[in-house]
Amino acid sequence: MEQARRLAVTLSGFAAILLAWQYGARFVHLPAYILPVPTVIAVRFWQTFAIQAHHLGVTATTTTVGLAMSLVVGILLALSVIYIRPLKAIVLPVLAAFNSIPKIAIAPLFVIWFGLGSEPKVLLAFLLGLFPIFVNSVTGLGEIEPDVLDLARLAGGNAWRMFTKVRLMHAVPYITDALKVAFPLALVGSIVGEFIGGNDGVGYLILSGQFNMDTPLVFACLVSITLFTGLAIGVVALLERIFLKWRPSRRKR
Amino acid sequence: MTMTTAAVTVDGLTKTFETGAAVEDLSFEVREKEFVTVVGPSGCGKSTTLRMISGLVPPTRGRVYIRGKEVSGPIGDVGMVFQSPVLLPWRSTIGNVLFMAEMRGENSGEYRQRALDLIKLASLEGFEKRYPHELSGGMQQRVAICRALLLNPSLLLMDEPFGALDIMTREKMGFELQKIWSANKTTVLFVTHSITEAVLLSDTIIVMTARPGKAKAVIGVDLPRPRDVKTLRDQRFVELAAAVRDNIEAQWVE
Repeated sequence: MEQARRLAVTLSGFAAILLAWQYGARFVHLPAYILPVPTVIAVRFWQTFAIQAHHLGVTATTTTVGLAMSLVVGILLALSVIYIRPLKAIVLPVLAAFNSIPKIAIAPLFVIWFGLGSEPKVLLAFLLGLFPIFVNSVTGLGEIEPDVLDLARLAGGNAWRMFTKVRLMHAVPYITDALKVAFPLALVGSIVGEFIGGNDGVGYLILSGQFNMDTPLVFACLVSITLFTGLAIGVVALLERIFLKWRPSRRKR
Repeated sequence: MTMTTAAVTVDGLTKTFETGAAVEDLSFEVREKEFVTVVGPSGCGKSTTLRMISGLVPPTRGRVYIRGKEVSGPIGDVGMVFQSPVLLPWRSTIGNVLFMAEMRGENSGEYRQRALDLIKLASLEGFEKRYPHELSGGMQQRVAICRALLLNPSLLLMDEPFGALDIMTREKMGFELQKIWSANKTTVLFVTHSITEAVLLSDTIIVMTARPGKAKAVIGVDLPRPRDVKTLRDQRFVELAAAVRDNIEAQWVE
């Protein structure tokens, strides 16, 4: 009941903004190539639906593949740092230094190295998603309460049981939190990669909208991206509901 | 010295940290099935002593024997309860109790009945499937006690287990522990700085000196069991508590 009420409030808020946009833009005589009104965007979205779906599919794939790579590499790097102590002094500063380089700035380099295919886009998505996943994995897998480690030692627990029954479980909420941060970053990586070269993906479609002064198309692309982001966040939320049943509910906290 | 092997023998135990000696030349014995409490001012190395006995921390000097065998590392035959419950938040009550069996690599199914029995004994029936955040502090600590007893350890080490609880819960927990202990007669070494708790629960009380900790006095508690609320008003109880207090306060003058 409470939930339905809150949803109604949110939806009416959105509706109010759209209405203000629709009629306000007309009122101040903003031309469609500056700020198209919602109905125009909706029409353009509908007209270009097949193209949108194709390009969004490309972007979604590069983003997902890149993010999956950051997940695997981030967790493996975290494990190496946790289990091979001396590596910490090398891996952490190197990654921190690397993270301080704006990856967007080296994107053209990837085009030189890997061409105009999907490789530079996946690589950018991967690099942007890597750091948050690595950092949270180090905390989630590594920072176990010393008393818990002592209990495990007293029971004769080996490293493998410790990993599967304590570290991994402890890390799950840290990793889902990291995904929420890493996903939009990986998406930025894909889209910037598409801006720089190639003729596929939502980034490419936005650029072609720009070249043709097709502002409604640019906005229609933003709608696509928003829908995709919403879907991804929904997936993470679903994962949390499945794996984090034990978490106290937010309202209680 | 008795001829039989003591459950725990602590012989000249010393632990020195960079900041100085925490425990110095500590010696005492715990008999089989005895409930021994160590009291002393905070910082007198009580926790360090427990950790050395469990084998988690090596002593600087001295030895610990459990049933005549020297301790050289963590031994499986010890149950441990810390000041905080340290439950795994993603595990239910039963899952937390079974944790020790899983860590040892045993089939947890075989321990299920024992876990349920312990949970019942600790008055936690009906909370088997609840997660730690749904339990009160006292309940969480009772889960920790069940977990420590699951593998039937011959020695139970308790490091100020009720220290973080409010005074009312704390008193109740004392009686609960007595109930659990009389059903699972095991040797207990209990650290506290509550004199009441020490006298109420123990067979023997070891009073430690301030840092570096040494054994200052050993007081036998001859109160009949089971002890209940009435015991607290018993003349003998009051005398024993006063004796413990005298030994602690004597250090203030020294």
